[in-house]
Amino acid sequence: MRSMTEWWADVVAKFVAAFITKDRWRLYLNGLGLTMEIAFFAGIIGIILGIIIALCRLSRSRNGGKTFLSVIAGIYIDVIRGTPSVLQLLIMWFIIMKNTTNSVLVASLAFGINSGAYVAEIFRAGILAVDPGQTEAGRSVGLSKSQTMLYIVLPQAIKNALPPICNEFITLIKETAIVGYVGLSDLTRVANQITSRTYEAFMPLIGAAVIYFVVIKILTMLLGILERRLRKSDNR
Amino acid sequence: MITVKDLKKNFEDTEVLKGISYEVGKGEKIVVVGPSGSGKSTFLRCLTLLEMPTSGKIFLEDQEITDPKTDINKIRQQMGMVFQHFNLFNNLTIMDNITLAPVKLGLMKKEEAKENALQLLNRVNLPEKADSYPAQLSGGQKQRIAIVRSLAMNPKVMLFDEPTSALDPEMVGEVLAVMKELAESGMTMIVVTHEMAFAKEVANKVLFVDQGIIMEENTPEEFFDHPKSPRLQDFLSRVL
Repeated sequence: MRSMTEWWADVVAKFVAAFITKDRWRLYLNGLGLTMEIAFFAGIIGIILGIIIALCRLSRSRNGGKTFLSVIAGIYIDVIRGTPSVLQLLIMWFIIMKNTTNSVLVASLAFGINSGAYVAEIFRAGILAVDPGQTEAGRSVGLSKSQTMLYIVLPQAIKNALPPICNEFITLIKETAIVGYVGLSDLTRVANQITSRTYEAFMPLIGAAVIYFVVIKILTMLLGILERRLRKSDNR
Repeated sequence: MITVKDLKKNFEDTEVLKGISYEVGKGEKIVVVGPSGSGKSTFLRCLTLLEMPTSGKIFLEDQEITDPKTDINKIRQQMGMVFQHFNLFNNLTIMDNITLAPVKLGLMKKEEAKENALQLLNRVNLPEKADSYPAQLSGGQKQRIAIVRSLAMNPKVMLFDEPTSALDPEMVGEVLAVMKELAESGMTMIVVTHEMAFAKEVANKVLFVDQGIIMEENTPEEFFDHPKSPRLQDFLSRVL
């Protein structure tokens, strides 16, 4: 009985040390804020870049061959997918943008450029999944290639691509955990720092994991609602 | 109206069209029949460059369609195309399906295009479907809308690529009725179809395309009652 009480007191003390002492909960909150901020901007950069890269990659010359843009887009996707994202972040931080002081901008760009490659492949699949008859019909009424793409193919492609895009965004949130490598205090790094201050790993690390999980779970549920709503419009 | 000169089309090593020459006059209704794989759909698709001809020339009035300098989008605005699988724009309402091209190409103002679309919808008895989406329509309704979508551009000629082949039998009649009405209104039409009764009734000329050439052409009466080539006799004996 005594040992039970002692164990409980120990748990409480560790919890207090990890979250309450010196208002440490604020650090987690700030860390989560930074994580979400980077993920948000990187997500936007990734989606815009992804659409552009997907369109470049699918562009064809009049005789059906690959265009210069298509080749460039292919190389970009290959390079990004073929190198670790930590390395991409370090290269962006220490080489390409070493003089930039806005660290969130640098991190967002690094993750956005990384995500763009994956988003591009998602959009490419989404565009290819649209029935070629839609394009033929668009061209047949006299619309240009780009008008057909903009008004007919892309809206349908985006609907196809939405579920995997949401998946990619969730991956992105978790992947930002590597910004600790360049000294930014995101949620993961905060947990790690507190561990080294209290010499106790359980509470900070499990705590951070729970926070990630809850945030992503909520997001998944919201996206599920959005997806169901979109699908409903299919059989109106 | 449309002049085709020695049109050839290869898909890789297969010669699908082996030299087709033909002239379609204004207001004529040409029906193209032939066995599957004969090249009749490819012929039709070449006319608006949905398939790029390997060689040969195609003219719409005095404009050469096959000239690389010709703006094909401008040509296509004057040539309506109706597909076997309708190909209505799935993401748009029926109204937007009809008005998209005239509005985006700057031919009509939005209001004007809508009014025109409603008139056309009345013509095919589907005014109540204006705000529906294609997924909510039956096959026959979709094809009537597809015809209306092409008509909204005021084309000089209408091309039909097996417009009733993907329909349930009970819906074929409603689409053919619209096409007949269109024919009576004086539209120039080229129709690839298996509907021999339609050919007999509406066509000025019937073409038998087989093995990549026009093997026989004649008025419907002669074509069906006195076919000359053995291949056409054989074909008719199987479809009639």
